[in-house]
Amino acid sequence: MNKYPVWLDCDVGVDDAIAIMALHALEETDLLAISTVSGNVPLSSTFSNAHRMNGLMKTNYPVYKGADRPLIVQPQYAYTFHGKNGLGDVELPLPEDAKMLDTPAWDALYDCAKQHPGELRLIAIGPLTNVAIALTKYPELKTLLHTILIMGGAAVGGNVTPAAEFNIYADPDAAQIVFKSGVPIVMCGLDVTMQAMFRPEDWDELAQTGTEAGKFTKACVQKAWAFCKSIGLPGVAMHDACPVMYLAHPELFRAEEAGVYVETRGSITRGKTVTDLYSDKQFETKNAMVVLGVDRDKFIGVLKDCIRKI
Amino acid sequence: MSEFKKIPVILDGDPGHDDAIGWTLAQGSGRFDILAVTSCSGNVGIEKTTYNTLRVCTLLGIDAPIAEGCPHPLTADVMNAPSVHGESGLDGPALPEPAMEVCGLTAVELMAKVLRESPEPVTIIPTGPETNVAALLLAHPELKPKIKQISLMGGGIAYGNWTPAAEFNILVDPEAAKIVFESGIPIIMAGLDVTEKALIMPEDFERIRALGNPVSDIVAKWLEFFYIFHKSIGYEGAPMHDPCAVMALIHPEVFTMKPMHVEIETQGEYCRGCTVGDQLGLSGKAPNAQVILDVDRKAFADRLVESMKFYGEGAK
Repeated sequence: MNKYPVWLDCDVGVDDAIAIMALHALEETDLLAISTVSGNVPLSSTFSNAHRMNGLMKTNYPVYKGADRPLIVQPQYAYTFHGKNGLGDVELPLPEDAKMLDTPAWDALYDCAKQHPGELRLIAIGPLTNVAIALTKYPELKTLLHTILIMGGAAVGGNVTPAAEFNIYADPDAAQIVFKSGVPIVMCGLDVTMQAMFRPEDWDELAQTGTEAGKFTKACVQKAWAFCKSIGLPGVAMHDACPVMYLAHPELFRAEEAGVYVETRGSITRGKTVTDLYSDKQFETKNAMVVLGVDRDKFIGVLKDCIRKI
Repeated sequence: MSEFKKIPVILDGDPGHDDAIGWTLAQGSGRFDILAVTSCSGNVGIEKTTYNTLRVCTLLGIDAPIAEGCPHPLTADVMNAPSVHGESGLDGPALPEPAMEVCGLTAVELMAKVLRESPEPVTIIPTGPETNVAALLLAHPELKPKIKQISLMGGGIAYGNWTPAAEFNILVDPEAAKIVFESGIPIIMAGLDVTEKALIMPEDFERIRALGNPVSDIVAKWLEFFYIFHKSIGYEGAPMHDPCAVMALIHPEVFTMKPMHVEIETQGEYCRGCTVGDQLGLSGKAPNAQVILDVDRKAFADRLVESMKFYGEGAK
């Protein structure tokens, strides 16, 4: 089987951690490296959390450090959902053999893309700062990447403000660079990710398998679950697992081609992903596949199979 | 219809086919006491919308003072939509020449006079840009208590039409819309979320024509004209944007509404004129509008057709 070569850029993060486990376990994907960015929690935590995931999974994926703040706006974090340490305040040990690589994320990504010209899938599930820096520093990169699959934005609504989703709101300028880059984009925004609900019976089932990964999965979502429950949600949305799963199992999703750009100058719409999906007025270019729906049960089924394998 | 107490209203619009059909519904329903009609700059320029207002009121037999509105948006440049409504702003069937003149007051003066003189609070139905209503609120804050509510056509929570993020009426004058939405006056917002579902199908055109009265024949022709543009961009019927704002006051049961806080973006590269609806309560601000999100299309169409019978009853 031909596996898709994948670079993961992330801000680990509870749902990032689960997305990493999925990427590791899926047969369709070949994870080459992980880069980390400031987002859900500060860079020092997202970087060490990626190493901790290596420890949990007994893997040695190279982990690179990226930007410690957004391009222009001030950083802000999502501790309510992810806990102070980013992993729902679950303490995972930092592996003793963790390699603290010095190469910046954007340089490492470019080198990797050159080795897989036209083939590399970049999955970006945090603010798009690293990706924007890479695309800006290396204009050639846009011709080397096959696709950028992101978790971010929303055709309708938001979760930080009524108009904006966290990853885009955290660095709207970076997101706009990515959407304008010309690289084909798959956008998994709130439209689909809020359907990808991971429910208590799902994590209980995984914890009962007795594996470290299963027990960790249940433990790390508890903080997020307390928050989600308080606002009336039936589970914890697996935002970041969506683009991972879309790459491996697009048949589980419904998506539409659209023009998408990011508002960077609005007073109340900063960070809004403006799509022309439903509007009479269309943008000149269709630059993204906007993912709008998912078969929740099958999605969670595949996700659980992945975690069981670890 | 006489069992209902009539609702005192001011009609403010930029006719426009769907404004005209909204006013046809308002008059034909028999449910409103139309106290004034004011024109605004929008679909076409103010001279044309004023002329069209006079022609439509003549056709419908609306016997109320009429005034010309502000010639341009509060701060923005004039923006029109002739591709939708034709050069005259109301292309299609021949209409009677006006049997009356404008009253000599500006729209703001007329609205203020009507509000002051009305014993009870009055509802305003703006179906164009919010310029006149905003100007009224700026010039006469003391009259706010005399405005019962504002049932407007404008905006869209999920999307726009004139830009991907903004609907035409709000995009034309976002500053005015911001003033209206922040006024504290109860608002019913008929935006694209509902108005693009409130379709009148070609078979409905025929139901209206078959009523066989002088107004129904013209309404059928307006619909046919209005549908040409919309068919060309993929619509299955003619979207009855403006009639939704009228229908919401007399047949709210055909709609699904949700209270939410709505704010207007006046800046931005893509989002100027966007109506941002706080569906999840993220802003912590209390709802300022009943936003109409859905419609029972068949029931809506039936009630619209029904209202046209009024014009065949003769001696009105």
